[in-house]
Amino acid sequence: MPVVDVDPDELRYLTGHDEKDDDELKSDLFNLGLEFEGWTEDDEFQLEFAPDRLDRLSVEGVARSLRYHYADDRGVEIPNTNSADWSIEVEDQPDERPYVTGAIVRGLDMDEAALESLIQLQEKLHATMGRKRAKGAIGVHDLTMLKGDSVTDETGKSITYTSADPGEATFVPLDADAEMTPREVMESHETGQTYGDLVADFDRTPAIYDAIGLFSFPPVINGRRTEVSVDSRDLFIEMTGTDQWTIDHMCNIVCYALAARGGQVEKVDVSYADDAPGEYAGKTLERPDFSVRTKTVTHDRIESILGVSLDSREVIDYAERAGLDATETESDDGMAYEVEVPPYRVDVIHPLDIIDDIGRALGFNSLEPTYPDVSTVGGRHERSRLEDAARDALVGLGFEDLLNFHMINEAENFERMELDPDNTGGDVVGQADPVTIQEPYSEDYTILRTWALPSIMMVLENNTHRSYPQDLAEIGLAAGLDDSENTGVAEHRTVAAALARTDASYEDAKARLQALADAFDKDLETPPTTHPSFIGGRAAEVVLDGESVGVIGEIHPKVLVEHDLELPVAAFEFRLDALE
Amino acid sequence: MKRPQAQVAVLQAADAQEDRRIDDVAAEADLKPEAATRAAFELEADGLVSVAEETLEHYELTEEGDRYVRESLPEQDLYEAAIDAGAADGPVQMGQVIGASGLEGGAVDIALSNYARKAYGEIDSGEITANQDADPGSDPEMLALEAVADGRVEDADTDALDQLERRGLLDMREETVRSVQLTDDGVTALMEGIEAAETVDQLTPEMLTSGEWEDVAFTEYNVEADAEDVSHGKEHILRQTANRVKDTLVGMGFSEMEGPHADAQFWINDCLFMPQDHPARTHWDQFALEEPEEIGHLPPDLVERVRSAHKEGVGPDGEGYHSPWTEDIARGMDLRGHTTSLSMRYLSGHQIGELDPPERYFSVEKVYRNDTLDPTHLLEFFQIEGWVMAEDLSVRDLMGTFTEFYEQFGITDLEFKPHYNPYTEPSFELFGTHPETGEVVEVGNSGIFRDEVLTPLGVDCDVMAWGLSLERLLMLMYGFEDIRDVHGTLCDLELLRETEVIR
Repeated sequence: MPVVDVDPDELRYLTGHDEKDDDELKSDLFNLGLEFEGWTEDDEFQLEFAPDRLDRLSVEGVARSLRYHYADDRGVEIPNTNSADWSIEVEDQPDERPYVTGAIVRGLDMDEAALESLIQLQEKLHATMGRKRAKGAIGVHDLTMLKGDSVTDETGKSITYTSADPGEATFVPLDADAEMTPREVMESHETGQTYGDLVADFDRTPAIYDAIGLFSFPPVINGRRTEVSVDSRDLFIEMTGTDQWTIDHMCNIVCYALAARGGQVEKVDVSYADDAPGEYAGKTLERPDFSVRTKTVTHDRIESILGVSLDSREVIDYAERAGLDATETESDDGMAYEVEVPPYRVDVIHPLDIIDDIGRALGFNSLEPTYPDVSTVGGRHERSRLEDAARDALVGLGFEDLLNFHMINEAENFERMELDPDNTGGDVVGQADPVTIQEPYSEDYTILRTWALPSIMMVLENNTHRSYPQDLAEIGLAAGLDDSENTGVAEHRTVAAALARTDASYEDAKARLQALADAFDKDLETPPTTHPSFIGGRAAEVVLDGESVGVIGEIHPKVLVEHDLELPVAAFEFRLDALE
Repeated sequence: MKRPQAQVAVLQAADAQEDRRIDDVAAEADLKPEAATRAAFELEADGLVSVAEETLEHYELTEEGDRYVRESLPEQDLYEAAIDAGAADGPVQMGQVIGASGLEGGAVDIALSNYARKAYGEIDSGEITANQDADPGSDPEMLALEAVADGRVEDADTDALDQLERRGLLDMREETVRSVQLTDDGVTALMEGIEAAETVDQLTPEMLTSGEWEDVAFTEYNVEADAEDVSHGKEHILRQTANRVKDTLVGMGFSEMEGPHADAQFWINDCLFMPQDHPARTHWDQFALEEPEEIGHLPPDLVERVRSAHKEGVGPDGEGYHSPWTEDIARGMDLRGHTTSLSMRYLSGHQIGELDPPERYFSVEKVYRNDTLDPTHLLEFFQIEGWVMAEDLSVRDLMGTFTEFYEQFGITDLEFKPHYNPYTEPSFELFGTHPETGEVVEVGNSGIFRDEVLTPLGVDCDVMAWGLSLERLLMLMYGFEDIRDVHGTLCDLELLRETEVIR
């Protein structure tokens, strides 16, 4: 979940509520769903919240939500925008990153706190909506350092989003003193090493030029020339990415934050060349796009989801307190509301999201719980009942019931049981082709177990300091590859049991298996077999009602020694469904 | 009449006319004295013998006493030397007498104090006199010592014996001696004939069927001794907890779901309206499978409806996500990160056929998360998952259902904190008051499934759902601190064996 650092003094300043002490602020924030997690080293609140309201990734956004909460603001607010003076020309940009957006904000009087908040907002948006810059990356520049003379348009100023040869183009990146090519940045610059992978496969790297030359290498790093400082008053914001909607809305969130700091937003024309890749070839987009989206919500649906009766004035009031505008209208389904959603709300993608906002404004916890008046008959799944009955029988026979992980590694599942991991498949119990995990997190868990005796042997190995006899059993999942299954995996429940005691013998194991078979009215036969995990001449197939379903025997001394055991173990394993 | 062997022997050895000491009886009956004593008391309880007790005093010479008997008392030596030195006629120098007596060390003091006490003479200012009339040759203490040494203690003077004990020359100990004598009933019993009954260790089936048990006596056990340890089998603590949860849910009208652990991302994520570029869908959070790599078959019309929900949204005002969506990713196989994949399969009608409201379903099954292993997080854990399908469900119904469920486990004062999940709206994190500590703790996540989830599945009523980890419930209820102690191959058998059963 996102965490945002917020200076409580800034919050008091931006909300205009100097009288709120820290505890009051924390409690108000909690009611908004922002949880106080602790203090930062700089005495700021660390606030954690669910990743829907990405417009709250800055102190300005949190302050705006609080002002609605305090009813200082109501309804949709749209900052004024001046018409475009600058444009972004888009041509020959990389196919893999075809989209760009932008905005200008002028007249800022930034202090350290405001600049830090802007940097944090940028980072947090990168981490969330921007998908670690892959989907959208933000560049903020000092406008006065850009030279916008355009060769194509004498009247306006422009910058150009295009591509560059990674080995030829040069600029001085942030945190560097010398000119570097994009390739050098990717190889030797710290930020380049972090984000270079995003464009490493591109023939030509994304690049933004002004009249002076290359000044940004998105999504990796900006040039030093246009670096923003507390003295910067006018900012040029550009964002590149793989989805226009996403970067446009990231841009809206940044513009709203800067407008809250007293900045004047100015539009930028994004002009895609006729042969530019992407959906907007030949089109000019006016950005930022502060148009409101409208959704129709029926009164019935609001009442049925919230489970309360409301009149339309209440609905409109709650909507406005959530920062939305609602007007009554008629729909096919009766009375409804046209609800306007402000341009910074990226989470509202369906009328249900508006009902949630209304519920939050109303206060969900003020609702009285009711038990739904619908009657159904419950019951256990057949398989789960069978599993329970078999487990009860094993416990009755004195076995300690175990619960082990379904994930295991090849060594435990095969090698340490004397099975050949390179020759899987076939009918030998435990020898199935295993389900394997991609890029396993730990060497201990690389496959799904094909049988459960290896898990039991591991428990015996880890408990040699505990008293004997150790009679252990487990009923659990085992799986193997199987083309005849739709998922490609045959999953079954397996019954495994082991007797570890100084005089454990085949007969002890068979006596218990026989008791189990009798309990489920199954006919047990044990024709001799060979199995690498068991002593030759002391292993048998488990045949229940004529079907071979498992193996029983005395565990081979090699396997015992491998598991540091100093006493014999007799064991059996078979498919649970054989007891059906 | 049958009596245990020991009792018969004692009866036969006892006499009607005189008391016989139990030691003698035991020797005659070939019993250990303790066994004979026990038998005598048992017979006395039945009125067949009387048992008399008398306390005997036994004297024994100490090492010092033994030496004096063989030699002489120190005061006798001193008297002899004094006589030789002429002390009978008048005082003589003591040093001279002592030197002549051959006494040394502690014996000098012993001799001097007893010399005066027995009036053998007087000792004054370093001079010693001897009493002409004294008769150390018939000293009563020496006579008593000799009597004890000769086993004639009855001849000894009792005052002298006391004196010798005080001087540490004799040890006296008391012994209780029991004697038995046949009573009239005992004589009668003997005359009527009495047989020895056998004593047995083990009651046998033959004894019961033959009636022989009536004539045997059972050897006595030490019933207070510790018995050997027995370990009983026990259902695993998490299984017990799972069963309690299942019982509760079945009682509330829920039916159990079942389905694959390894499943397509389609059922695990796409049906749940999780965008394909959602951070939780990377392999850092879930286990993608190398083999098998993708599912064999997905219902094509359902795939199209799910794709459309992601890309275009559902309903006239639905927007969908601005994220890429491909069927290839949906076909990819994972270990399920939640059992909501089962809910999706059931709701789609592809698992057990079309469902009509109202329905209630649950599962308590394993899920897999690529997380760091620590005391509270496992790579595999059990998820409790439940949902209710009905017309016009409200958040109040959701609150009522979960309040009821958690109260069964002692978790009360449920609070609903508005939350965000991609697949439910409204969504709530559930907080409750811990039954033991009184803390407010998170106990689950819940919500009403979005239209983008239900419409593609073909469900046109409401479905509310919730999830919770079983391990979390176990830890809340039983205060385990490290879940690895109970779940997995690192488990401690001792802990499993000793854990209290769940009621």
